[in-house]
Amino acid sequence: MNWLRELGRRIWMLAHRRQFDADLEEEMRLHLEMRQQEHLQWGMQEDDARAAARRRFGSVTAFKEMSHMAWGWEWFEHLAQDIRYSLRILRKSPGFAAVAGLTLALGIGANTAIFSVIDCVLLSPLSYPEPQQLVATKQNDSLQNVIDIQRQTRTLSQGGGVNIEAMDYTGGTQPIQILAAYVDAGLLETFRVPPMLGRIITPDEDVKGGPRNIVASYHFWQNFLNSDPHALGKTILLSGSDYTVIGVMPAGFALPREHADVFVSLWVAYPEAAPYRGVHFMRTYWRLKPGVTLSQAQADISTIDRRLAEEYPDNERDRETLLVPLQQWLTGDVRQALLVLFGAVGLVLLIACANFAGLLMARAIARQQEFVIRASLGAGRSRLIRQTLTESGILAIIGGAAGLLLAKWGTGFLVSLKPAELERFTGIHMDAHVFLFVFGISLLTGAVFGLIPAWSAARADIADSLKKGARGSTSSPFSQVLRQLLVTAEFALALILLVGAGLLMKGFSRLRSVNPGFNPTNVMTMHLQLPATRYAEIPPQTEFRRQVLARLNALPGVDAAMVTDIPFGGNYLSHSFVIDGRPQVPVGAEPETQTLSVMGDYFRVMQIPIRAGRSFTAMDREGQPRVAVVNEEMVRKFFQHENPLGARIDWSRRVGPHQWMTIIGVARDVKHSGLNQPVDPAVYAPFPQSDEAWRRWMTLAIRTPGASAKLLEEVKKQVWSVDSQIPVSEVHTIEDLMGVSLAQQRFNMLLLGLFAALALILAAVGIYGMMAYRVGQRMHEIGIHIALGAQRGDVLRLVLGDGAKLAFFGIAIGIAGAIVLSRVMKSLLFEVTPTDPATFSLVTILLAIVALAACYIPARRAMRLDPMVALRYE
Amino acid sequence: MHPDEIPPGTLYLLILKTLARSGEMHGYEIANSIQRTSHNVLQVEEGSLYPALQRMLIKGWVTAKWGATAGNRRARYYQLTPTGRKQLTLEMTQFERVIGAITRVIEAV
Repeated sequence: MNWLRELGRRIWMLAHRRQFDADLEEEMRLHLEMRQQEHLQWGMQEDDARAAARRRFGSVTAFKEMSHMAWGWEWFEHLAQDIRYSLRILRKSPGFAAVAGLTLALGIGANTAIFSVIDCVLLSPLSYPEPQQLVATKQNDSLQNVIDIQRQTRTLSQGGGVNIEAMDYTGGTQPIQILAAYVDAGLLETFRVPPMLGRIITPDEDVKGGPRNIVASYHFWQNFLNSDPHALGKTILLSGSDYTVIGVMPAGFALPREHADVFVSLWVAYPEAAPYRGVHFMRTYWRLKPGVTLSQAQADISTIDRRLAEEYPDNERDRETLLVPLQQWLTGDVRQALLVLFGAVGLVLLIACANFAGLLMARAIARQQEFVIRASLGAGRSRLIRQTLTESGILAIIGGAAGLLLAKWGTGFLVSLKPAELERFTGIHMDAHVFLFVFGISLLTGAVFGLIPAWSAARADIADSLKKGARGSTSSPFSQVLRQLLVTAEFALALILLVGAGLLMKGFSRLRSVNPGFNPTNVMTMHLQLPATRYAEIPPQTEFRRQVLARLNALPGVDAAMVTDIPFGGNYLSHSFVIDGRPQVPVGAEPETQTLSVMGDYFRVMQIPIRAGRSFTAMDREGQPRVAVVNEEMVRKFFQHENPLGARIDWSRRVGPHQWMTIIGVARDVKHSGLNQPVDPAVYAPFPQSDEAWRRWMTLAIRTPGASAKLLEEVKKQVWSVDSQIPVSEVHTIEDLMGVSLAQQRFNMLLLGLFAALALILAAVGIYGMMAYRVGQRMHEIGIHIALGAQRGDVLRLVLGDGAKLAFFGIAIGIAGAIVLSRVMKSLLFEVTPTDPATFSLVTILLAIVALAACYIPARRAMRLDPMVALRYE
Repeated sequence: MHPDEIPPGTLYLLILKTLARSGEMHGYEIANSIQRTSHNVLQVEEGSLYPALQRMLIKGWVTAKWGATAGNRRARYYQLTPTGRKQLTLEMTQFERVIGAITRVIEAV
């Protein structure tokens, strides 16, 4: 404990430094005076007495210094001195300080912001207990299969399925649609998140005819149960049935991908779907038993798959369930984009560091004279190095502080831009670790590159340097080459980033110019869902639809129709089908087509051109011959050598005779799932002729020049005048929906574009700094050239040639690098090859122009040189 | 006779011993005391007492407090601590061992 007390005394001294100095001074003065007094008493003269006292004492200054140093704080005092000196120097060259600080701020801030997002999405654990045990399956499954897997598995501890369905909640002022998770009892158990209130659904309730119980999400409890702590046991009306609240989940809980307001047992809420093995409509999540690896679980699942395929060949012959770790499954879509961004972050950080390094070196070389003079005045090498370190450290701290602000702001900015895929990750915030990491790297850069010149200055032969110094500063060939390398590298890196951004932009503009197959302007859409209780059969459904359309079309300026799923709405329904007269296809191997039910003049409202035949009319109704319109892709795939008009198709049926639909028309292809998605074959059929009563939902498509809140209210009023219990949900314009489907691409492009712009600016600053410095260095030489009759053009060529050489090498290396690296982006590009020549040449030209512009400013300065001034210039 | 420099490393020992003998002293008194007791043979460069005293303060061998001299002037008085006393014993033993060894070497025939 001795050292602790000693440290305490040292710190006490540091805090009372002033007092200490005064005390020491007084003590020594007393000593000298008393000695002098003694000498006087011996009869010495006053002056002699003082001199003798001093002689006996020794150097007061030296002993004061030694006493001071005994306490070990001299480094601290030197540091304070260095900081004061550095600040003074930096204030004298605000340009340098600003550029260096800005370089660092941009590098640190942008990188921290991006990395924080990546860190949260790619690297952060899920918010479930023991998340590494959670897996998802790539394929959906049916409840019956889920139950069999639960029984047979030896590697999975828990698991379950979920299907999101809309339910009507009519307890509030207006009927609204909420999203219900139809689950089995295993699902909520799997995530191991305990409810905040009450309990979750138990296996004995999860049976046909079980009690109508719901578990509410926190969101639902807050908004519709008024955060009532006594909500348990309350009854609410959902889609015409009473449900009892038995539990409330905590605020942080959400299913991995699905949004759900309430959780209900599938057996209870939708008993019709539960027994069907062949309908794979549930997404399933499983939890590995402790110690079980993914491959063991996969082997186990594959065995069960084979068993199910043998037992139920009709439905399950092609079973091939793939387990994916939940984290990987969640980030799958954005993973590629984030990895590319991650690479971009690294490149920008490199550029920023190279720039900072270049600036420091240029500056140190320019100040070599000063260093040499200080060295010749007795400054030790360590002291010189400390001084340089202090300076780059101060710069790094200033840049870091600005970077911190930028990072905070930038993270918020990114979150505000985030595409739908990132919506789930609500906890994105600036990560302090990331900031410290990036900050550390810039400090290190400052230290290393700040040191090289100080070190070489301290080693330099003082006399020699002073002589040379009189003719302008010098720099060692080594640091000269190093700086050229840095600028070249900056250009190479900037080119790679620009190519990446250019490719994304080109892909994006291609994507935007894709024709969706219909006219998306001025179309409003909304979703309606009929409750099963009162609309179980088709005739009342048809009646409802007919009345709604009649009332809406009676509104002035409104042209309305309906379809099951609107393009870009995110929903998709497909059926396997058969063509009349074609050879029999084995059960389970029939081709698939998208299926859409429509009512009203859907093709006219959406402005989807009819390529052949005719569109539906009001006469294509119940009781009339069944008809269908197909899209061009269907014709391309299945009617290559045959006139589709008049051909007959039907869904593949397990029971009953076929009810053929005659193809009466061919409609243009529509990009249903997004502009960058392929078009699938599609069959349109009239709602009234459908024999699938479970199609109880519809999307209104309303073309109107004047979409407004007032019109929306009017539309709702008309719907409710037909049935006041029907919620109107998901009100959008199709252009909004298209915007959402483009959001991910736009996000990628924007981020990479920002990075590329940043890289371009940094590289330009880098080459400018380098050239400005070189011109300054070559003032004499240029002056001699001019004096000897060189024209302005010659000088310009001299300077530009110097910079162009560096830029050329940088660009050449960058192109090679970009060809290698842009392949990584392949999956992010729409109809653009990663080595798109147009993008490459455009970017090269852009970079070359920037390089020339950056060199031109110092070159112009050189051109305007007065030779007489230049020759005298120091 | 010209006063001798004190052997290196013995300054602490001298100060410790002086303080042990006389209790409280200020710097001037310590210097005088060393000189007097050594019959003017040992003369420290008086200023060097002060850095040494500072180091001893850090080590906790002595404490210092301000007081008044006989002539009623402010002076810093140093006093040995228990740790200082232990250190004195240690240094004495060490010193005697070294001196003994040296004596044996130079007296050996």
